[in-house]
Amino acid sequence: MNDPEIFLQAMRYIGAGLAVIGVAGAGAGIGVVVGGAVQAMSRNPDYTPTIQTNMILGIAFAEAVAIYALAVALIILFV
Amino acid sequence: MTTHTHSEKPRRRGFWRWVWVGLMILGGLMAFNVGGYWGGIWKPVSPAVVLPAEQAWPGWYLLPPGILFAEGIPFTNTMFSVFLASLILFGITFLVVQPFVRGGKEVPSGFYQVVEVAVEFFWNVAQGAAGKWAKAIFPFTMTIFLYVLTVNLFKLLPIHETIGYAKEAHGTVQGYATVPILGGAVHLLDGSHPYDAAAEGETHEAEAAEHGGEGYWNSPEPCHNCEIVPTFRGAATDLNFTASLALITMIMVQVFGMRALGPGYFSKFINLKTIINKPFFGLMDFIVGILELISELAKVLSFSLRLFGVIFAGTLLLAILGSLTVVFIPGFLVGLELFVGIIQAYVFSTLALTFMSQATAAHHGDEH
Repeated sequence: MNDPEIFLQAMRYIGAGLAVIGVAGAGAGIGVVVGGAVQAMSRNPDYTPTIQTNMILGIAFAEAVAIYALAVALIILFV
Repeated sequence: MTTHTHSEKPRRRGFWRWVWVGLMILGGLMAFNVGGYWGGIWKPVSPAVVLPAEQAWPGWYLLPPGILFAEGIPFTNTMFSVFLASLILFGITFLVVQPFVRGGKEVPSGFYQVVEVAVEFFWNVAQGAAGKWAKAIFPFTMTIFLYVLTVNLFKLLPIHETIGYAKEAHGTVQGYATVPILGGAVHLLDGSHPYDAAAEGETHEAEAAEHGGEGYWNSPEPCHNCEIVPTFRGAATDLNFTASLALITMIMVQVFGMRALGPGYFSKFINLKTIINKPFFGLMDFIVGILELISELAKVLSFSLRLFGVIFAGTLLLAILGSLTVVFIPGFLVGLELFVGIIQAYVFSTLALTFMSQATAAHHGDEH
């Protein structure tokens, strides 16, 4: 606590840790997307290519939110 | 003849398999510094993570200092990979695709087949999404896909973020001692000698000022606290690259909207038509138009941050895990990063296609 530089660095680590909590939401989102896609594919295997493409797009959208959190954490840590 | 080659093939693959396994074991042993040859250069070095792009080599400028800006425009290490990607794509165009198109052969062969499969796949997707505007939109999305894909695949090159010039380490970056070889022309970082500021004190400060005067380590003497600034770094780890791609994409979305719907396209954003004859719902439409404008700006942000974040986080993961475990895990992670790079290129181009085809379609304001 006596060294302000070390205190600041500790606060940075805590902030980065708090920032990546947002990743949890993206995990749940990807789970929902893939769960729905697997159900759809098992009911209608003929449409697997279409469903798969849309599933990957949906995953990318959900993942983007996690990536924002990660980008914030990286910026806190390294800038 | 064919049966002969078939029987020949598995034996050769079996031989090389053992060579690779042997090399992996040798690499692992060297990483734990068995033998101690050349100090600890085989030992993994914890990465120097720097977010902004750095100058690819001291004295390399796109625009030398003093011409337009006092500091000049440095030729950064991410620009290097952008130029290399452009070169490769030009090479494929003029050496593979052009000769085939000009040659008039019916059956494609060799590398051209790969190009054709990719182009045909995207052409079908574009036609499904954009209809009659596919012909105008397709070249743009295809270019984005190939460009981002090429840039992302550079992660597989061994020179990626490993070769560069040595620089005095500052701030939180962990510096290492170097081992000069070839008469001091080349320095290798010594993983077993990390710089410890508390133990070594300020004794190397004067030495560093003497040998590292021009911003890099330029002497045959070993450096005690150096980091490597890579000459070659993935372009998508630079926010400038992704943001410029995103800006170009969103501007082209507006251009395609203009071309398809004329000046009426902009009534999507500033909607004053319905405000006169239907005061309440007209006002609602106006506010929705403002929201549309904001979401258009947010798309630039999400486009650029998505690509940047995924690729930078991947590079960071590879660097950190590569410094913890040496031989086995990073191989699988490179495979994962390869997959992620392809997916991100696909997502970028598909989203661009979706936004463009949405812009060319008539929006709700015109129907009532």
